[in-house]
Amino acid sequence: MTLREMAAALELTIVSDTAALDQPLAGGYVSDLLSHVMGQAKAGQVWVTMQGHQNIVAVASLVGLGAVIVTSGVEPEEQTVNKAIEQEVALCMTKLPTYEVAGRLYQLDTAGK
Amino acid sequence: MHELSLHVLDLVENSTGAGAEQVTVTVEEDAGRDELRIRIEDNGRGMDAEMVARVTDPFVTTRTTRKVGLGLPLMDMTTRLCDGHLRISSAVGRGTTVDAVWRLSHLDRPPLGNMAATLKTILVMNPELHFRSRHTVGERSFLLDSEEIHLALGDLPLTQPAVLEWLDGYLKDNLSILYGGKQA
Repeated sequence: MTLREMAAALELTIVSDTAALDQPLAGGYVSDLLSHVMGQAKAGQVWVTMQGHQNIVAVASLVGLGAVIVTSGVEPEEQTVNKAIEQEVALCMTKLPTYEVAGRLYQLDTAGK
Repeated sequence: MHELSLHVLDLVENSTGAGAEQVTVTVEEDAGRDELRIRIEDNGRGMDAEMVARVTDPFVTTRTTRKVGLGLPLMDMTTRLCDGHLRISSAVGRGTTVDAVWRLSHLDRPPLGNMAATLKTILVMNPELHFRSRHTVGERSFLLDSEEIHLALGDLPLTQPAVLEWLDGYLKDNLSILYGGKQA
């Protein structure tokens, strides 16, 4: 399953559509603490957070994450969306709470294995 | 950086990196206005308007070789998460002032952290710097001036163990008085 198919299955709104979305789904990481994400998330993973500041794009870009999902109806700031497009970081948003996104993501990720 | 005192340390390092000879840190815990304010003022080389606009942009710091760190972008983020803001005013040759404000009672506000250790580190690491700080909690204030300390110590260096021990106690005692500790 690609990240784009994952986004469709979870009915996410894609706000920064990049080629990264054509990568296969390869696990996820959940945290709102950027320092933890920088230290522990792995390249290619989907990051689930409710932070909307442009720093999330910097972290995603540094780690080489597959996509970022901003949850719980948090609107990523305008700068965040612009930076994501500019830096080719895939960014999605959803009204679903983090718990639900993580649960469904885990099911999608492990279903094919 | 889960403690705001680490931002203070980071910003003072930025100031000295920018050639500042004087740095003043002001910390105000103002329950009346429900604000925590931190200000760092330096007389370093300053920045032009374009650079000021870019220092809270995390990509400025991660893509160039300038060692500014993710410090200011993270500080900008925590202030905004806590109903506050970060403002930077600067002019080339005239120094830089960073003003950060958080809502004091905000649940997500990071703790101030260990200010005694932070002040001690700044003093010990920068013996040539004229460093001043004012920490206010409600009606109480603690003023620190590196010149007064160096004057009192005479030729004794701050790195001497007995002096370090004294400094440690001096900072801890004075800071605890701010929070209702006993007057020495």
